[in-house]
Amino acid sequence: MDSLVFLLAFIGLCIALVCVFVFRPGITATRGGKIMAFLVLFILPILCLGAGFSAKLEASKSTGFCLSCHIMEPHGKSLRVDDPMHLAAAHFQNHRVPPDEACYTCHTNYAMFGGLKAKLGGLRHIYVYYLGEPPRPEDIKLYEPYNNRECLHCHAGARSFEQGVVHTSDPALMAAIKSNQTSCVSSGCHQTVHDVATLKDQKFWDGGK
Amino acid sequence: MLSANPLERRLQTAAIILLLGLLVEVVCLLGKGPIAFMMFAGLCVLLFVAGILLYLHLLVTAGSHPRETDQP
Repeated sequence: MDSLVFLLAFIGLCIALVCVFVFRPGITATRGGKIMAFLVLFILPILCLGAGFSAKLEASKSTGFCLSCHIMEPHGKSLRVDDPMHLAAAHFQNHRVPPDEACYTCHTNYAMFGGLKAKLGGLRHIYVYYLGEPPRPEDIKLYEPYNNRECLHCHAGARSFEQGVVHTSDPALMAAIKSNQTSCVSSGCHQTVHDVATLKDQKFWDGGK
Repeated sequence: MLSANPLERRLQTAAIILLLGLLVEVVCLLGKGPIAFMMFAGLCVLLFVAGILLYLHLLVTAGSHPRETDQP
């Protein structure tokens, strides 16, 4: 929040300086005026744009941002299901993901340019939401199968994962998980993620608000 | 409000476009949802790019438009 206030103050300063050239363009007749014009009409706008873009990109990672579309409300509600077998709910409620960036943490791509890819996916969501035919919440599917890489970004090396009874029961399983041959979420192990179709039958946790 | 001098008028136009871009940026930063993000990525970036390009074009063509106050 402090950084946003600082950015808004900086933009306010830029607005005041640009106004000088709107109302007194004649000051560019002097050498100092020309230098000031270059700073105010070229350098400062680029800084403002870059800082603003960074701030918007950061804000778009927030859970509130993702859930601001009505179609995502059931998915947001599924984070509060009172059942540890629900993967997303267990991660959210136990802070295995930052609650403020819960959606982004699991649904970004931890490969090169993954954040950019995630944002392009978000733009596609907006396009479908406003200009296409949005699916029903229970019909929402991932664009491509969930990659174990996203799970292993946090879990690889963790004791509970590396020494888990099921994970180590078969010597070949760990290698298959790490090479994405056996999916964490669709191979029958952690398959209940956002079960929005059964939300009406669930109990909900109301803590952590 | 716009100056009679063509060079200064173009400078004012660039400044006004940048001013609009800055104002749109403030609105977008105060907004929370995807619409604010789209407005930033679309309208705001467009205004900034247009304003900056107009100013740069003014710089490179300024020699062919001497000010009325400049000495011949």
